[in-house]
Amino acid sequence: MNERFTTLAAEARDRWDAARANGREQVNLCLDTSSLARGGAETLAALQEAVAAKGLNVDIQTTGSWGFCWLEPTVSVRSAAGTRTVLYHSLTPDRVEEFVQAVLVEAGELPELALGVVEGARSEQIGMLEDHPFMRGQIRRLMANCGQIDPENIDHYLARGGYEGFVKSLEMEPQAIIDLMLESGLGGRGGAGFPAGRKWDFLRNATADPRYLVCNADEGDPGAWVNRVLMEGDPHLIIEGMLIAAMATHAVEGYIYIRHEYPLAIERMNVAVEQARERGLLGEDILGSGKTFDLVVFTGAGSYVCGEETGLINSIDGYRGMPRIRPPFPAQAGLWNLPTNVNNVETYANAPLVLRHGAEWWSSVSDDEAKGTKMFTISGAVNQPGCVEIPFGLSVRDLLETYGGGTPGGVPLKGYQPGGPLSGVLSAEEADLPLTLAPFRDRGLFLGSGGIVFFDETTSVVDLCTYFLGFAEDESCGRCTTCFQGTQRAVEILRRIGNGGGRETDLDKFEDLIQTMSWSNCLHGSFAMTTVKLALRYFRDEFETLIREKRDPTRSLPGMITYEVTSPGDPALAEAAAVCPTQAIVEEGSRHGIVDELCIRCGACAEVAPNAVTVRDRFV
Amino acid sequence: MAAEPTTRELRELVAEYEFERGHLLPALIEIQERYGYVSREAIEVLARQLRTTPALVYGAVSFYSDFRTEPPPEREIAWCSGPACRLRGGDRIREALQYTLGLPLDGQSEDGAYGLRLGQCNGTCSEAPQVWVDGKVVGDLSVAKAVAIAREVKGEA
Repeated sequence: MNERFTTLAAEARDRWDAARANGREQVNLCLDTSSLARGGAETLAALQEAVAAKGLNVDIQTTGSWGFCWLEPTVSVRSAAGTRTVLYHSLTPDRVEEFVQAVLVEAGELPELALGVVEGARSEQIGMLEDHPFMRGQIRRLMANCGQIDPENIDHYLARGGYEGFVKSLEMEPQAIIDLMLESGLGGRGGAGFPAGRKWDFLRNATADPRYLVCNADEGDPGAWVNRVLMEGDPHLIIEGMLIAAMATHAVEGYIYIRHEYPLAIERMNVAVEQARERGLLGEDILGSGKTFDLVVFTGAGSYVCGEETGLINSIDGYRGMPRIRPPFPAQAGLWNLPTNVNNVETYANAPLVLRHGAEWWSSVSDDEAKGTKMFTISGAVNQPGCVEIPFGLSVRDLLETYGGGTPGGVPLKGYQPGGPLSGVLSAEEADLPLTLAPFRDRGLFLGSGGIVFFDETTSVVDLCTYFLGFAEDESCGRCTTCFQGTQRAVEILRRIGNGGGRETDLDKFEDLIQTMSWSNCLHGSFAMTTVKLALRYFRDEFETLIREKRDPTRSLPGMITYEVTSPGDPALAEAAAVCPTQAIVEEGSRHGIVDELCIRCGACAEVAPNAVTVRDRFV
Repeated sequence: MAAEPTTRELRELVAEYEFERGHLLPALIEIQERYGYVSREAIEVLARQLRTTPALVYGAVSFYSDFRTEPPPEREIAWCSGPACRLRGGDRIREALQYTLGLPLDGQSEDGAYGLRLGQCNGTCSEAPQVWVDGKVVGDLSVAKAVAIAREVKGEA
């Protein structure tokens, strides 16, 4: 093995070991975007203040996420002797004082906030973390460091085997690296599942130089945040993956394209790149090998189609992020028309695992054509919006029940969106599908990049269609008439149906649009109608009820309902009148009524006066 | 955030940027970080520096939703347009915010005191439905709470 690396890794391990054996208690607070949204920064400040004020023998560090996003801020406490670590949840700023007193001052434990024991033995009141219902069945490989290391300290990554996969690849022929990737069966994690090894081989066989790598960290699918969890929790894993790809393809420079909505991920990737450069892992003559590779962290500026690989390339090149017409493909003409390979964050992040542990180990977890583990985020009508890493093949229902904690209030599931606005919607009757590529491909959609959104029976499918087509309309780049006009037309028709103006011919018009829009240049246009196409397949009744009976079975579409005061003397109506943004609630004597022409159907009155205001069908 | 940038300041700010090295977006982001928006003059200065046309620079400014062409408002509510928020009444919250503030999405009051912006999901879906008030997440909203926030931001409460 590379001698410089052996020294580098040994020194990092010594520092990691020393810090963990310094006789002080260690408090590791998760500080990612989800934790920050729940007061994580204030919790950190309060912890630091309390520890300083009491003069406690405690080190405080920050980490990435364990995936318990709905229970942030999470915090683990490791005993001074290093024999026991317990993970706690919901350490909001107001709980810090009590927590510090009970756990750090009195050296006790707080079973009511404990998620489980990370290191050490289970106690009567606190079980092992791996036995927690949310953790059981998960296989944490990509997320092995998330929550456990400081993402801004390269020593931590190195001490836990980091960059060993890259060092192996440094001593391999490019062909051997590609063969290993092909043997593993690693497919692209951006949605299409194309074999990463083949994509790398295209670049290896390119004829021009210099050649480039791009990491697609645009993660524009609303409701997906798996890439964010990785970048905020273990940024070096992605750098190492890109380094391996560079060794396999002769690329000399790489770009990590991160959406501007992820400022913390951008910051942490920049810190990681800087630290890797300082240690000689990026730049010229890497670890004395004579090889060169460097990385640029590139910030996007708000555009969904930049997640399409050629749109992303145009965006870095300095043009509007309009997807290109292919061929030529990026492996021939990508960045600056030079050979380029684009992979998703999660695809690159798997490469170090393949190199470190071998293809056989890597592919052993999924009993399926799709190999390895996959990260998913769960959101929408679920009790536990979080992030998991599981083998391919678990059913959607298991994901919802086991990890998502079921639907709120036990309202029946109506359906789900498997991966982004272009991936369509499926009904609850398809909830037993295994989470892998083939069943979704067979149904005319794709699994997507990992953001699964569930919706329950209170949701109107026409509203969902209007929402997702409206998103596609907003984000269309404007190149193809079929896309920018097609989405516009679809939204017009959907809005008309949702306002009670649906016509018998509308469903045929959708069929026309589905056909016409499939001619669009990129996936954005050609898949934009997937939601409508599948909604018509699974929920046709609902469209027909709206069109023929002028009735919305969910009573949620603003255009199909009216708000009516049914108990005009209810005292809560005074507050309802005060909160109404359009002064639609008027007082006549001591009684209140709603002026329908002014009402915007926001429902604020029904929230504050639930017993006095009733939702009624507008046309029935 | 500084006041109206001078030509000399703008030239100095973008002096190191080169179009051929993929610097259009980084330059625009730096201009907006410094001044809060990309002015007409900034577009012209940057076009000269990058040896391209103001039309191409403006094309990018208008294409990417993050760029502003006027100074940002003093106070701003960004409404989350994500699906988890939508499923929990996000669209009714948008209606209520628009009417309370008297603004469309991405609009701001004439005096620049307050504005309303379309925000993109960043995966804090456990807080749904949410808005960002002056950049800080306010989650678990109801329509009534959103109205109260809008009135406060508008200076009515």
